[in-house]
Amino acid sequence: MNKIMFFAHLRDAAGEFINMEAAGKTVAQLKAEVAEKYSLQNIETVMTAINEEFAGNEEIIQDGDVIAFIPPVSGG
Amino acid sequence: MDNRYSRQILFPGIGKEGQEKIRSKHVLIIGAGALGSGNAEVLARAGTGKITIIDRDYVEASNLQRQQLYTEEDVAEKLPKAAAAEKRLKAINSDVEVAAIIGDATPEFLEELIQGVDLIVDATDNFETRMAMNDVSQKYNVPWIYGACVGSYGMSFTIIPGKTPCLNCLLRSIPLQGLTCDTGGIIGPAVQMVIAHQTAESLKILAEDWEAVRTAFVSFDLWRNEYSSIKMSRAKYEGCLSCGENRTYPYLEAENMMKTTVLCGRDTVQIRPSVQGEIPLKELAGQLSSLGYEVKGNPYLISVDLADSGERMVIFKDGRALVHGTKDLIHAKSVYQRIMG
Repeated sequence: MNKIMFFAHLRDAAGEFINMEAAGKTVAQLKAEVAEKYSLQNIETVMTAINEEFAGNEEIIQDGDVIAFIPPVSGG
Repeated sequence: MDNRYSRQILFPGIGKEGQEKIRSKHVLIIGAGALGSGNAEVLARAGTGKITIIDRDYVEASNLQRQQLYTEEDVAEKLPKAAAAEKRLKAINSDVEVAAIIGDATPEFLEELIQGVDLIVDATDNFETRMAMNDVSQKYNVPWIYGACVGSYGMSFTIIPGKTPCLNCLLRSIPLQGLTCDTGGIIGPAVQMVIAHQTAESLKILAEDWEAVRTAFVSFDLWRNEYSSIKMSRAKYEGCLSCGENRTYPYLEAENMMKTTVLCGRDTVQIRPSVQGEIPLKELAGQLSSLGYEVKGNPYLISVDLADSGERMVIFKDGRALVHGTKDLIHAKSVYQRIMG
């Protein structure tokens, strides 16, 4: 099982976190799935962390990994 | 004023030697909005040798809630932010050389501005400028500190050429629509928290305490009581066009820049963004109308009345936009990026 956490405005659509089975999927696959489920826009440029470490789109998720989606913001 | 920096010199991370280093350094701050104001004030008070600050806008009433260098008088006079910032910074610390530039930080201009600069502080409101800043930083080997905030949420990351991954490693492309303060709102403490992270990093770099520089990507949400730190050691992307072996500095090339044109005979500027892609028009319209903007639309475009400045902007599905009510290219670009990020 995996815990998937959402940050900033993603949380308005998807909530604080969800638990789902994501082992074996790549980050890109998980992004696509989650984007579809919660109609999240522009998920491609959302940064991903696995167990508090940056993860690229090709990275494969292991059982028990905690995944966080962190959207870069631009206000200044 | 021998006593002026005594408390900072007492701090072991800086000391007398660190203070002398800070005194000898030149910082370039891109943007004089909320982050620019705060960063500039801290660095001026800390005794930085020279501060160059560039901004293309003037002070408006809606800035005063969080942009700490400005006053009601500046709003009444419609002073350009760079000019108002210069006046205030010189009043705060006359030891500091302040160069204020009223203008647009285009890639071409950034290559000029970076000469002799030791550090760039990001205080801009859009990713197009940040990507250009990132390329200039890599090309001329000058560190920069990313900072951004919206709502109660903020983030910062320090980029040191040759050591850390760069912004292009992390994003790989310009986010099509980043949330901005004009679309997502913003509270003062989120601004201050980003400023605290950016200025702490600035002081470490200016004092040359490289060991102390933060390598993690920080993000926080002050309303939801969260703080997270992400390790970035594996984020460096070998094929990165900005910092990889076969680098081309793509965001310094003309074809990757946003294009603005005055439409002949009409009081209108057309804006063509550097990235092509589909804008979620319905969501954007919903967001803007919930913020009180007058929005009309159909499946192909939305039209937004910008009551603050009197213009109207029409945004098409492919990201192209028309700003009606101005012939000023820089102003139109600023209006566009405030909404689109």
